[in-house]
Amino acid sequence: MLLEIEDLSVQFKTDAGTLEALRPVSFSVAESEVLGVVGESGSGKSVTNLALMGLLPANAKISTKRVVFHGKNLDLNSQRELRKIRGSQISMIFQDPMTALNPSLKVGYQMIETLRCHFDISKEVARSRAILLLERVGIPNAEKRLSSYSFELSGGLSQRVMIAMAISCHPKLLIADEPTTALDVTIQKQILDLLLDLQKENKMSMIFVSHDLALVRKYSHRVQVMYAGELAESGRTEDVIQHPHHPYTFGLLKARPSAHEGLAKEPLYAIPGVVPSLKARPTGCQFHPRCSRATDVCKTLNPKLTGSSQKFACHHPLETP
Amino acid sequence: MSFLQVKNLKKSYVTKNLLGRTDVQQVLKGLSFELPENKILGVVGESGCGKSTLAKVLTRLEDFSEGEIFFDGKNLREITAKDFPHKIQMVFQDPYQSLNPRKKAWEIIADPISVTEHISLKEAQARALEMMKKVGLLVETADRYPHQFSGGQRQRLGIARALMLRPKLLILDEPVSALDVSIQAQVLNLLLELQREFKLSMIFISHDLTVVKHISDETLVLYFGEIAERAPSQQLFTNPQHAYTKKLLESAP
Amino acid sequence: MKDFFIELSRDIRKNKGAFAGFLLISFFISLALFAPLLSSYQPDQVIDGALRLSPGAEYGGHYFLFGTDDIGRDLFTRILFGARVSLMVGLSVVVLAASLGTFLGLMAGYFGGWTDRVISRMMDFIMALPAVLFAIVIVAVLGPGLVNSVVAVSIVALPNFTRLIRAQVLAEKNKQYVQAARLYGAGHFRILFKEILPNCMAPLIVQGSLGFSDGVLNCAALGFLGLGAQAPTPEWGTMLSDARSFLESSPWMVNLPGICILLVVLSFNLLGDGLRDALDPRLKNRA
Repeated sequence: MLLEIEDLSVQFKTDAGTLEALRPVSFSVAESEVLGVVGESGSGKSVTNLALMGLLPANAKISTKRVVFHGKNLDLNSQRELRKIRGSQISMIFQDPMTALNPSLKVGYQMIETLRCHFDISKEVARSRAILLLERVGIPNAEKRLSSYSFELSGGLSQRVMIAMAISCHPKLLIADEPTTALDVTIQKQILDLLLDLQKENKMSMIFVSHDLALVRKYSHRVQVMYAGELAESGRTEDVIQHPHHPYTFGLLKARPSAHEGLAKEPLYAIPGVVPSLKARPTGCQFHPRCSRATDVCKTLNPKLTGSSQKFACHHPLETP
Repeated sequence: MSFLQVKNLKKSYVTKNLLGRTDVQQVLKGLSFELPENKILGVVGESGCGKSTLAKVLTRLEDFSEGEIFFDGKNLREITAKDFPHKIQMVFQDPYQSLNPRKKAWEIIADPISVTEHISLKEAQARALEMMKKVGLLVETADRYPHQFSGGQRQRLGIARALMLRPKLLILDEPVSALDVSIQAQVLNLLLELQREFKLSMIFISHDLTVVKHISDETLVLYFGEIAERAPSQQLFTNPQHAYTKKLLESAP
Repeated sequence: MKDFFIELSRDIRKNKGAFAGFLLISFFISLALFAPLLSSYQPDQVIDGALRLSPGAEYGGHYFLFGTDDIGRDLFTRILFGARVSLMVGLSVVVLAASLGTFLGLMAGYFGGWTDRVISRMMDFIMALPAVLFAIVIVAVLGPGLVNSVVAVSIVALPNFTRLIRAQVLAEKNKQYVQAARLYGAGHFRILFKEILPNCMAPLIVQGSLGFSDGVLNCAALGFLGLGAQAPTPEWGTMLSDARSFLESSPWMVNLPGICILLVVLSFNLLGDGLRDALDPRLKNRA
């Protein structure tokens, strides 16, 4: 295992009291594996990654039982430890590439500085390496692009630059947090195909966060579905999608109209209700107010994650047909 | 003549740079299409294809440069400012920006009728509550402010406001793209229900092909201000003709 | 709107600086309101022979908490009644400048084009000159006096409000809720005052509080220069100027009105800054 996390939880201290953004969650990422993380707003999927990168705001309280990265224990509360691996061993690309680059500095300057920050190399070497990287991520006229500013680039190009910077130090783990949500569909496919190519080529592991199960299905080996700061279900992608056990996973799959099949204008399967607010969590199973299978036990007892290869947290799981 | 008929619609923006040189950017390059009554027309395209501009032109938020639009037998430009709100309304993309943060839910919904009709506040409120029920909002939440609602509920508020004047045509600009997947389905179901109940025609603008395929009778694919393809939705998705449509479909997960 | 003020008062109580400012303002307001009850003299009442007595002095059966001035008036009484003048002046400046400034800002931001150009250049012109200097010019034209100095200071304060509201309107008018209002047929008037203006209130309240202190300070400055309130009005700035020649022999005559100006200006600044802190983050959350 490249990354093993045991009981990671995150709380935010706010005026309205302590909010549990992430309840104790355990998961792992194997070498050269793509782990898809699916969830809606407030599911805790971004918080998990920001905690790993040490990028949570100051009012966040992180607690873990154990985090092992690349065979070494990692203290997520130590900025010093995280700074050593951030960017070099774990890098991240964000949802909005337009704001992830500094608009007042040239792309080349930002790339060269990043490279020189991690390697002891001259400006000229860094520059030629930056050109190679930009070419690798499919940016035409790479040399000319170095003297562009980020606002002169389209969303797709900016994201390619971000990817180039993220892989520049050959990280072992790349976290892609909704990397294509802000982009057009045709660009989305190009970017994700590129990410997967790079992942195979460099044998890196990847955490791919998305709200779209269909995308995760196409691009990840394993998937974990998160809901209200907890793990609802996890397992091999095809298993989870073909035979979801958790009613929430089932609902997510059904709620999307399909591009390739299905009748138009038929009512879609809709999960009723809204995602619970962190300020007013339901008791018991977090999903029970929206669940058609809920019984009394669901209202009082929060189910534990069970199962071997495909895990799920539900008292009344859907059976495999 | 069709319910909505658009002929050779062109729209360009003229900008002047610092040196006083004018720069003309053509956003819509001669669109022609029609929409029969009680049908849903999907408009698909990527950023910069002109789909939002089309929405603004059809709602008269912006004027167009060339061409003609006929709505319900009348020239769109000649409909009086008094009649227009009862004919065409719009649902916006951003559920955060499209509702006035300083107004209560029922006030937001009642605004259209309190502007256009001379009715008492009480009656306006009663009719607003009626509409809240129709779009699946609890009447008890009528006194809340927009920030106290979730994204999906806010979009329901926006839909309720748009329907208050009983328009014949509803233009929806990316109405579900800011919503969570499980909430998208609720809103899409609601829109289909309301379309039947209010006998609405709709223009449903989205970048999401699967959503458009699901909801629309006919689909228009826009590519840089031109119609790349226009066909009945089922046909378009099973048997795309234009190379760009094919590319779009391949890219969809 | 009611909930807005309830939340606001809760936020003020949480912010120490703002709360201190609020307490101090309340203190000065009650001094001003109850001035006749707190003092047994009239502000222009001259006690024969009680010239420039130091604070706490007794003279012929009279007690002077803050001493007396150079013609034998009780300083404590004059400062109490001076609070009335200063607070009224501050309030008038804010009301005048804020209402006119808001109106001009709404027009400039909403209609743009020539309206905007004319209004914005006017504001640039006012801002190009130092505030007090420009106020002096206006008073010189209108003639000295309390009312004219209030008008002058209001004009000087105008650009702050106009530019603030204009920027706010520019940000708000392109939001989709304004477009929605246009679609259901709302007129310009309704859009401006019912849709956009309520969303400009937060920064306006902050600016109002800061403008209050500017108004008090500038009017005191005009008074000090002899262009504002005329004798025997108990205005703090005028009192300062009258006492100037006794700075060494009777420092309390200068110090006490000076300290009062300082405290009032400070308290409104504290409140304004606190309000900004309280209102800004929530604006971000709501946007």
